[in-house]
Amino acid sequence: MIASPARRIVLGALRYAAMAAVAAVLLLPIWWTFVSAIRPGGEIFRYAADVGWRTLVPERLTLEHFRTMLASDMPRAISNSIVVSVVTVVFGTMVNAAAGFAFAVFEFPLKRTLFAFVLLTFMMPFESIVIPLYTLVRTLEWTNTYAALIVPDLANGLVVFLFRQFFLGIPREIYEAARVDGASWWTIFLRLTMPLSGPTIATAALMQFIHQWDAFFWPLVAASTPELVVVQVAIARNITLEQANWGGLFASASTAILLAMIPFLLLQRYFIRTVTASPDK
Amino acid sequence: MAPFRVPPWIPALFLAPALAGLLVFRLGPILIALVGGFTGSTLRGETVFVGMRNYADLAADPSFWSSVRVTLLFNLIINPFQICCAMGLALLVLRPTRGVALFRAAYLLPMTVSIALTSVIWTILLEPSVGPVNGMLKALGLQPQPFFRSEGQSLVTLILVCTWKGAGYWMIFLLAGLLAIPRELHEAAAIDGAGAWQRFLRVTLPLMRRPLAFVLVADTAINFLLFAPAYIITHGGPAGSTALLMFEAYQAAFALLNHGRSLAISTVILVIIGVIAVLELRLFRAAHERTG
Amino acid sequence: MAKIARRGLGRLSLAAGAAAALGGTPARAQAPTTLKVIWMGWPDNQVNPLMEWFEKRNPSIKLAVEKIPFNQIFQTIEVRLQARNADPDIFICDSPLTASYGARGHLMDLTPHLDASRFAKSALAAATHEGKIASAPFGSSMQVMFYNKAMFREAGVAPPPADVAQRWTWEKTLEAARKLTDAAKGQWGYAFEQSERPYQLLPLGQSLGGVALSQDGFKASGFIDGPAFVEAYTWMQRLYTDWKVSPQGQFDPNIPVEMFGNGKVAMLVAGTFSVATLQQRFPSLDFGIAPMPYFEKGKPVTPTGAWHFAINPRTRNQSQTLTFLRDFMTEELHSLWFKLRPYPPVLKSIWDAEKATFDTDMWRIVRHELDNTAQPRPATPGFREYEDLVRVALRDIQTGADVKAALSGAAQRIDREMQKYR
Repeated sequence: MIASPARRIVLGALRYAAMAAVAAVLLLPIWWTFVSAIRPGGEIFRYAADVGWRTLVPERLTLEHFRTMLASDMPRAISNSIVVSVVTVVFGTMVNAAAGFAFAVFEFPLKRTLFAFVLLTFMMPFESIVIPLYTLVRTLEWTNTYAALIVPDLANGLVVFLFRQFFLGIPREIYEAARVDGASWWTIFLRLTMPLSGPTIATAALMQFIHQWDAFFWPLVAASTPELVVVQVAIARNITLEQANWGGLFASASTAILLAMIPFLLLQRYFIRTVTASPDK
Repeated sequence: MAPFRVPPWIPALFLAPALAGLLVFRLGPILIALVGGFTGSTLRGETVFVGMRNYADLAADPSFWSSVRVTLLFNLIINPFQICCAMGLALLVLRPTRGVALFRAAYLLPMTVSIALTSVIWTILLEPSVGPVNGMLKALGLQPQPFFRSEGQSLVTLILVCTWKGAGYWMIFLLAGLLAIPRELHEAAAIDGAGAWQRFLRVTLPLMRRPLAFVLVADTAINFLLFAPAYIITHGGPAGSTALLMFEAYQAAFALLNHGRSLAISTVILVIIGVIAVLELRLFRAAHERTG
Repeated sequence: MAKIARRGLGRLSLAAGAAAALGGTPARAQAPTTLKVIWMGWPDNQVNPLMEWFEKRNPSIKLAVEKIPFNQIFQTIEVRLQARNADPDIFICDSPLTASYGARGHLMDLTPHLDASRFAKSALAAATHEGKIASAPFGSSMQVMFYNKAMFREAGVAPPPADVAQRWTWEKTLEAARKLTDAAKGQWGYAFEQSERPYQLLPLGQSLGGVALSQDGFKASGFIDGPAFVEAYTWMQRLYTDWKVSPQGQFDPNIPVEMFGNGKVAMLVAGTFSVATLQQRFPSLDFGIAPMPYFEKGKPVTPTGAWHFAINPRTRNQSQTLTFLRDFMTEELHSLWFKLRPYPPVLKSIWDAEKATFDTDMWRIVRHELDNTAQPRPATPGFREYEDLVRVALRDIQTGADVKAALSGAAQRIDREMQKYR
């Protein structure tokens, strides 16, 4: 049943209205954070209780919080977090995609057991494993190195699971055709499966990026010297008992949010409809 | 898709790096933690085997059972709620019409705020006496609400705040799944006379089986392991109304300095998640078998 | 097939190489010793000068300082100490945790290395565990009442005097608060800075003669839920629920100071450090300082506590840590620290040396309180457990729970957790 043009327009308008309403709810708190970052420190809470247009639109603007932030350990933290996140995404995606491929495409002994183990790894609270993990990392002499921040998080059970789910959706015929053509499994994985999985790879990349960008407790435990400070720790250091640097908090939080948006924007183009190869292509 | 039988060394090589990493950095420590649930430690740090004592203590502790109830209630509501919201958002932004990319980006923005920061910001926004949300309600002539500071509202408020942050996150996965459905299938169904809702039920949902399975299991695990807001905003209260199991585990370790108890609670969490995950995966596999 | 094998091996060697490159390099014999220090995440300009001062004095010792945010510092230290190895060499220790760390074997005995007579009485008491000095006092604390002069003038109420002899009672404070509260304008008559923390609120019950914990430090039932505390916290609860002079449900300790600075709160009991915050962020604010109130039928009691630091008994750099201890207990450093972050000094000599600085209303009050009314939190190895469980009870009390039930519930759980120390 094809909708009439009038009906289409009304539905379209409703759709945009709904999208805008949702956007308002999701964005207002973040807008408030951004606004608090550019207003004088004393005014951040003045308009919090007495809500007026001034709550959301600052009268006086200042860049002092950002200036102070740039002089603090935040730039260092940003570069550390970028390094850790990008390296994790690059190596982690390969490692986890390969494993997901194996679980989706092959049959082998102990497959169900191993997959159960993979699922198990993201079902245990991190706080319960932090002490043995710290002892292990210390034994490897990785404390206060990038290795401690990156290596334990390369293999990610949730990401393996993600790849496995999506790879299961690729029709068997594609692989059969490739095998008939004499392709090795590695070639199939790299040249056939991965290119078909744009959105999945983008999603996995974003998952791992955010996981590292948001990392807080583990970096504190394993690598919290000033050279290795990460973004979330730098943000948290704005709050002390008896002295909160609200402007600094909101400025660094805003910066972290905006920077984290960059990978999303870069990977947006993978969220397009993939053309499913049909058997006769 | 039926898997291929191959010589085992092929999957072994594909699996090796990930499994090695998971074994060393996750499964190993998890095993130690599971064993740790059966131990206690002396003041001087020596570990003693105490058998089931930690679990017996938990079973006899009314606050533990209260925590189990709160956790199950929390998850019973938040998991379907979040996924429905995520699915709704994904459907809303599916068709790439003008400006939709902007909305997609906007919906992802809460995901870029860490859960700790989300907790800090929402604590301020929902402050009953001095927060802007109540300020807005007052300006609109409505009754200000206690939100996180009332037993009745705290859990629901927690669910809403977590959904605020998570809906965009899960939307991405569902969007990826929706985009993988060939347009031809929708068009064919439309030509056959199926309405939008029909198409959703008969075409979309079955093909979304695997992404939904992933989102459900992953969301379940993440929500059962949720801890930061319960710690930062409500500290388990008021009156234990947000004392999630994960919060209890954390408190047992870092406030009560009782590691055996903390590990026992963590094991309980693991078992609950495991059981529910298995049920969820079965649910989706059964659905597949039904539709062939 | 060979392609895959080569790739697999290649990836393995890449990982190994990366691990070697990223991992630590072996220490060379001639390099200076590095001490690993876990410090509180105070702002950089309050921490770095101290560390730089030390490194200049001791070129053969380097300090690797981790500045951990306040909300995570205890947990982070716990994880490190649980591993029971040589790291960290030195760590920050909130004074009441001395007994907790000491009971679990995490503190080096400092008695032979410290001259006890140099320290203020209360600081030393908090540093002692089983008769030995186990942590080094670094900076004390005291609470006073701040009040907004303009709001008092507007309401026509006489403000509280700074003279400790004319200290206001809580009852008088309430009377004034009711006149200063204006719900329509979002103005509150009174607020506690740390409205859920035992640090700030135990003195209320202690003012009525309550004892927070048994002498041996192991029993809370009958103490924290005794009549004095029940009466005190029932009164406190009514500030929020009945008289509505304080903002209910506001637990973040940094926000009441903001509200006071913005003229939304007329009276605020807070730490002396807030003076610096108010002067820097709200320079036009006209505020005065008075001593913390007490209950009419009781006695004045004020909270105190200090930041200490401790030495890990498993350290491999014993002599260097002792050098750190010696230098960090000099008058020079304590003077420097006072200038950076003006906590009440723990060294008696600083009080005498800087007479001019301390000749203000606030410091006179502080000195009097420290000598006469200050009561540190209970000394018990189970302090962490005690504090957190009482904190939960105080939160629930503020939002309207039954006072006796909340306190008794906390007391029972505390007693249960204390079992492991008996």
